[in-house]
Amino acid sequence: MSDTSTTSMDGVKMAILNNRFEGVTRKMANTLLRTGRSGVLNVARDFSCCVVTAECELLATNEGLPIHVLSGPDIMARYMKEFHPDLRAGDAFLNNSPYHGCSHAADWTLLVPVMDNDGRHRFTVVVKAHQADIGNSIPTTYHGSAKDVYEEGALIFPSTKVQSNYETNADFRRMCEMRIRVPEQWWGDFLAMVGAARIGEREIIAIAQEEGWEELDRFRRDWLDYSERRMIDAIKALPAGFAVHTSCHDPFPGTPETGIKVQAKVTIRPDDAIVEVDLTDNPDCLPCGLNLSEACSRTASMVGVFNAVEHSVPKNAGSFRRIDVKLRENCVVGIPRHPTSTSVSTTNVADRVANSTQAAIAQISGDHGLAECGAVIPPAVGVISGLHPDTGQPFVNQLFLGMSGGAGAPKADAWVTIGHVGNAGLCYVDSVEIDELRQPLYVYSRRLKTDSEGAGKHKGAPSVEVVFGPRDCAFDIGYVSDGAVNPAQGVRGGLSGGRGDQYRIRPDGQREQLDPCAQVTLQDGEKLVSVSTGGGGYGKPSERDPALVARDVREGLVSAERARSVYGVAIDAAGKFNEAETEALRASVPA
Amino acid sequence: MRFACDTGGTFTDLIVEDDDGVCRMFKASTTPDDPVRGVLDALQTAADGMGIDRKAMLSAGSLFIHGTTHAINAIITGRTARTALLTTEGHPDILTLREGGRTEAFNFTIPFPDPFIPRALTFEVPGRIRLDGQEIEPFDEAAVLAVIERLKDEKVEAVAVCLLWSVVNPEHEERVGALLEKHLPGIPYTLSHRLNPSLREFRRASSAAVDASLKPLMGHYMSSLQQRLKDAGFDGRVLVITSNAGVIDAQVAAQAPIHIVNSGPSMAPVAGHWFSLTDEGNDNAIVADTGGTTYDVSLVRRGLIPMTRETWIGEPYRGVMLGFPWVDVKSVGAGGGSIAWVDNGGLLHVGPQSAGAVPGPVAYGRGGTLPTVTDASVVLGHLDPDYFLGGTMSLDRDGAEASIRRYVAEPLGIDVAAAADAILAIATENMVQAIVDITVNQGIDPREAVLVGGGGAAGLNSVRIAQRLGCPTLIVPSVGATLSAAGALMSDLKAEYHAACFASTARFDRAKVNEALAGLRERCDAFAAASGAKGRTNIRYKAEARYDTQIWEIEAPVRSVSFDSAADVDAFVADFHAAHQDLFGFDDPASPIEIVGWSATVTCALRDTDGIRLSEDNVETRNHVRTAYFAETGWIETPVRRFDAMQPDEFIEGPALLENALTTVVVGPGAVATRRSSGGLSIAIGGK
Repeated sequence: MSDTSTTSMDGVKMAILNNRFEGVTRKMANTLLRTGRSGVLNVARDFSCCVVTAECELLATNEGLPIHVLSGPDIMARYMKEFHPDLRAGDAFLNNSPYHGCSHAADWTLLVPVMDNDGRHRFTVVVKAHQADIGNSIPTTYHGSAKDVYEEGALIFPSTKVQSNYETNADFRRMCEMRIRVPEQWWGDFLAMVGAARIGEREIIAIAQEEGWEELDRFRRDWLDYSERRMIDAIKALPAGFAVHTSCHDPFPGTPETGIKVQAKVTIRPDDAIVEVDLTDNPDCLPCGLNLSEACSRTASMVGVFNAVEHSVPKNAGSFRRIDVKLRENCVVGIPRHPTSTSVSTTNVADRVANSTQAAIAQISGDHGLAECGAVIPPAVGVISGLHPDTGQPFVNQLFLGMSGGAGAPKADAWVTIGHVGNAGLCYVDSVEIDELRQPLYVYSRRLKTDSEGAGKHKGAPSVEVVFGPRDCAFDIGYVSDGAVNPAQGVRGGLSGGRGDQYRIRPDGQREQLDPCAQVTLQDGEKLVSVSTGGGGYGKPSERDPALVARDVREGLVSAERARSVYGVAIDAAGKFNEAETEALRASVPA
Repeated sequence: MRFACDTGGTFTDLIVEDDDGVCRMFKASTTPDDPVRGVLDALQTAADGMGIDRKAMLSAGSLFIHGTTHAINAIITGRTARTALLTTEGHPDILTLREGGRTEAFNFTIPFPDPFIPRALTFEVPGRIRLDGQEIEPFDEAAVLAVIERLKDEKVEAVAVCLLWSVVNPEHEERVGALLEKHLPGIPYTLSHRLNPSLREFRRASSAAVDASLKPLMGHYMSSLQQRLKDAGFDGRVLVITSNAGVIDAQVAAQAPIHIVNSGPSMAPVAGHWFSLTDEGNDNAIVADTGGTTYDVSLVRRGLIPMTRETWIGEPYRGVMLGFPWVDVKSVGAGGGSIAWVDNGGLLHVGPQSAGAVPGPVAYGRGGTLPTVTDASVVLGHLDPDYFLGGTMSLDRDGAEASIRRYVAEPLGIDVAAAADAILAIATENMVQAIVDITVNQGIDPREAVLVGGGGAAGLNSVRIAQRLGCPTLIVPSVGATLSAAGALMSDLKAEYHAACFASTARFDRAKVNEALAGLRERCDAFAAASGAKGRTNIRYKAEARYDTQIWEIEAPVRSVSFDSAADVDAFVADFHAAHQDLFGFDDPASPIEIVGWSATVTCALRDTDGIRLSEDNVETRNHVRTAYFAETGWIETPVRRFDAMQPDEFIEGPALLENALTTVVVGPGAVATRRSSGGLSIAIGGK
């Protein structure tokens, strides 16, 4: 056990050190979740914590949002080193620049170099947290129609030093307070981020004191190699193949009239243990906020791959060596040039990339991949702002009243509250009572919509319909809802999920359709109806276990008519399925 | 005479305290088909052990304290009553949507959990209350009567009612309750605002749903328990352990069974606290209970047992939410039965798979083939194959060794002893991470706490755990093998009351808050008056509070029952900042504080002595030497001692193996074990 002559670390020591590094990121994340002030942090869990090596490789992450963390921390750590070659203990750097490795301007990222006693840079701890407000030209962090970063309006920090000697730069704080809406909330979130990063720094130093920095360096190398071996095995379990899947984002202001058509060309080469995702054959950047940053282009492709292979493979620079993502400059799903806007980079078009990748893999193998998850961001998950009628104070916050969108999988029905593919269901769902307490709003109803699921052998999620409106005031709400024209597609014979929709109901009951990407003012007494997108089904509906269809009917999720016409299952008055009739129905359906 | 009886998954533990305050421990097998039979069996074992007639023993009893897994088992196996949910019109999916959240982001093999009550048995009730209590949609009695007719058709056995904002204005819920009472007589129901008056409709609805669903079953169980004890000769008071480390009367438990769902692990910290205070004078303890399949960690922080509201039965986000505070216990799938395996990348794992009680570890010789933590201890010579459980069971050391060689040593390319030691190292690390998680959440520094090792398998690696955590001292209590039952004997009658009265320090309405606190006090006083307890009574007030716009509350102390001046509010604010600083390492003095709920806990002591003294008759001395393996020394001749035969303050330096009839404590090289006057062992990890 204590043999130090061999250069590679044994499976025991490695397991223990991995556990400890994961413990560090969990501790950081826990601090942030429990102390963050805005809903986007403490409800949506829209943050991530990770440890990057001195060589800028991703080593360990918390159970964070997939779209946040796979690629990006590595790029940001490289810029930190390039811009600030003289790193010191007590430094902290802020990066929210989509041109320097950040996902989008709303995802503030704090990087803290972990230094040894000799002043040598050993690791970097990274805390990324979506902000409630970033000083955009309109009160939303998702500015879908911004034609460039200037119209978007956010403050951009390309790896800017904000702490020296563990003290926050007071100029920086005053600048932010002059520019960011509800600055007290911003400052509370900033404190939570600093707290999380410093806990990570302290914990890594504590491990090093016990084990020695050289031992941690050995761990870094061997752990990444181990992770690569796991990924090699996972890819060898897939069949060889090539597939193209196309997924289209709905038309928004600034996009072509046909929307944004995204295609992923996926090649699986088990012999080389490589999965290649080629995104180069896609449109150029567009004059709107929907373009992807480089971090999101890479990460979205990788999310699609990791959703499709054995889920226990560690996600770090080691396993990433086996994914080859091909990007090009000035591509809507590639590497944007300044001043292209990437305001909505982590959700809408990124989801189309991840969905295309996992659906392409499902085309190649019926035991892998996923259907498409639903699209976002519906008004029930929009950013609301206004003046609070009880206090006269301004408020801004993102709601999380209702998303669904889960995709059918090879072996299971969808996880209903997946949110969107890049979130993977980590987001919490708001309590009606807490939302009504915190914001001057009123939730009239919230329910799953019957017959809106993506039918399949394994079904996709149904839509959630939320009806809400102001209480004793008017408020603004911003949202960017994709999925009304192009619903989440099923795979391998599975059908599409329900479409997104939103409309206003005036006090006299009159109904007014609302644009999918808008900043809307709701007057007192008006209601907004928000319908989330469902998820696609996996496999043919006619292959679904009729007993499960009967249960869906009893539960009011699927109507008896739909059970018959779509699933080929005959349900009797008692809610059971009729075996003979079902067999006959299914025999008559073309295969 | 007093009895404390804890029915666990495998064993029913019993401690009998005679009128001189001397205790004796017994164990019998749990009988899942009829758990009361196992209770009576344990009582028989005790009577036999003490050489008296069971009826004579029971008729001398004044108090019977019971912990049961009956309720939690019913939830896990889905054997609860057919229950309906009545909820506000427009909001039928409270139990389906839950609070969102998911773990294992890339794992798509696990389907979305079904709601605890199916949508088919969920009914919407017209009427809507606003956050300020105003009615904006009227109640509709005819609609509720129509729902009740459907409940009859559906043959429901219990009903849960949860309407939005019922905690602010309960009128609609009360009216539903009255109609159920009148038109559905004999069917138990639960109103959410009465059971769990807290904000967040999902948690309140889930509380009500679980509670209602348990009423028929637990009502029957409690009656049966009382009747059969009575038939056996017991005429005293029957109390049941609650999930928040108190005890309540059996009939109260039958009326609100949700309170006893997690009665099992809640008593360990009560006992652990007494031992850490008595033996080490330390008010901070980490209390670990090692079972066959799980490792449960609870805490004592400055003399108090921290609670949590994240109360899932089963996995977080996939299981059932109780929505009720209980003793914060972190459970991980790591125990004596956890299986060791090497993955295809060459990494050693221990658990989460477990060999359980059947087939159990290879060494048990009951058909187990995969190596477990217990097998590792046997191979290393830490467990005596011929003296397991006091010699009542023998172990197959060769089998254990062959299994570790095949599944661990050969794949890793190391020898068997190193492999067995590695299994313990990984198991230790899993347990350490569980402790780190809960201590971080509750703001405790393990280096300033005592580690208390409870459970039959605690002694095997607790010294290593303490070492890794930097805990200077490990205690293994004399009653460690039946720690929960010991805690039950020491526990108080306890009730906790909640009031959802929202307040902010930015505009603090003292009169409104004082009214809520006064209401809580009245309920506490009434409880104490009716308790029949002779000892001291104590009431503590707490606030569930957070910084303005945070979402997760923390507990902050409330010093007295009324805020009489602005200075009282300032004192509360200071206490909150200190609590936040304690937990998270920073505070935000400029921020207002929001309080979403107030609670009062009343405890009434059941006896005037505290602690526990174990009988020391019939301890055999059995000192010898065994060859055992330690990573630091390799194979070494190691002294073996009966620790219940050691003198108070006698000490032994490691390496040593200290045993009693129910457990073995491995004292590694460098550590020093001392016998305490309480009867247990205190181990200084870094030596004297």
